[in-house]
Amino acid sequence: MALDRAESLVSALVTGRDLGLQSCALCRLTVRASAASARCPRCGARLHVRKPHSIATTASLVISAALLYLPANLLPVMHTHQLFFDEDDTIMSGVMTLASSGSWPLAVLVFFASIVVPMLKLVLLGEILYAVHRGRVRHARQRSRLFRIVEFVGRWSMLDVFALSLLTTLVQVAPLAEIEPRPGALAFAAVVVLTMLAAQSFDERLLWDSAAHG
Amino acid sequence: MSALIICHACDLVHRLDAVSGPARIRCARCRAEILRTTEASIDTPIAWAMSALVLFIIANAYPLVAMKVSGFTRLTTLLGAALGLYDQGYESVAGLVFFTTFLVPLAQLGVLLWVLIAIKLGQPRAEPIASLRLLEPLRPWGMVEVFLLGALVALTRLSTLATIVPGIGLIAYGSFMLMLSSLVTTTPREQLWRWIAQSRS
Repeated sequence: MALDRAESLVSALVTGRDLGLQSCALCRLTVRASAASARCPRCGARLHVRKPHSIATTASLVISAALLYLPANLLPVMHTHQLFFDEDDTIMSGVMTLASSGSWPLAVLVFFASIVVPMLKLVLLGEILYAVHRGRVRHARQRSRLFRIVEFVGRWSMLDVFALSLLTTLVQVAPLAEIEPRPGALAFAAVVVLTMLAAQSFDERLLWDSAAHG
Repeated sequence: MSALIICHACDLVHRLDAVSGPARIRCARCRAEILRTTEASIDTPIAWAMSALVLFIIANAYPLVAMKVSGFTRLTTLLGAALGLYDQGYESVAGLVFFTTFLVPLAQLGVLLWVLIAIKLGQPRAEPIASLRLLEPLRPWGMVEVFLLGALVALTRLSTLATIVPGIGLIAYGSFMLMLSSLVTTTPREQLWRWIAQSRS
């Protein structure tokens, strides 16, 4: 829309840090970067030139989530008890059940939201952290685009948790059928929460601070 | 008059002429949205917020869905879905469901309504503004639309073994989602804080 009005100083690549200015993390007011523990004059939020301890926090969250990714996918998340059979479901077998009941679009959706997205998120965050740690980030633009997609899509992984909450609440018609949660659900929910926190604690500007070229 | 705007995502400095009317401006280097303004007056988001509040109350007062299977009928409400996990000993997952589908959406709505009305009435005091500050990091944790898709997945899985009847609660919750997202799009961050700064000066 009004894109043309944003006259950037791209050719010179002037950053806020160069000018001693920063964008308030909360209300995005341009403020003078000053001593620690300063507060934004408009919204009163604490000001930081970069999010404090971003790399260490993100790295520990990514590692914890990666460890939990295995039990989240290998352990059963729910147990179905019906008159003549008992069944444990993992995340993946839930996808298969959806597919075999003919709801292909939903099955594909859940497969992406619950299995592919958390894995992509872990790989991408790990890889970005490694590149920033080495101090040389190639393809910063593509990486930041990927990071944003993954950050945006991440919350959709919760849909399996919500489906489980409805299934376990509704299907309590003993002796006909009962559905109960199983420990895999704990690990799975933890993976989603930890990866969301990891994306939130990562400061995207670090990607650009050590970009190999523009 | 021109102003310097710094991209929150890559720290690049932009010089920007005064923006009038609705605009959406992206960072020239990393394409992050650095400024969005709307033409809507403050009455528009207040109207969205009020209708969202009514729908949220209806969504919680009526059952989301009913399941019928050989003579048995089971109903659940929104809070009932979190409670079901709690009763089975999964308190932390139940808490997460309660937090993301009830607490955060309600807080988001309540705080925005409080702040907007305070601006409308003149001098907003410190409390609504402090609560708006607390709300900001919670933004990604409101998951109304994700819950609705999760409900679709659950009901599809059940439809092979039972009859599923969607309730008034589900329809109200779906409409609540639409109202809440209209509220969020009519209160862009920059504009909200500008309204606050204007009404304080």
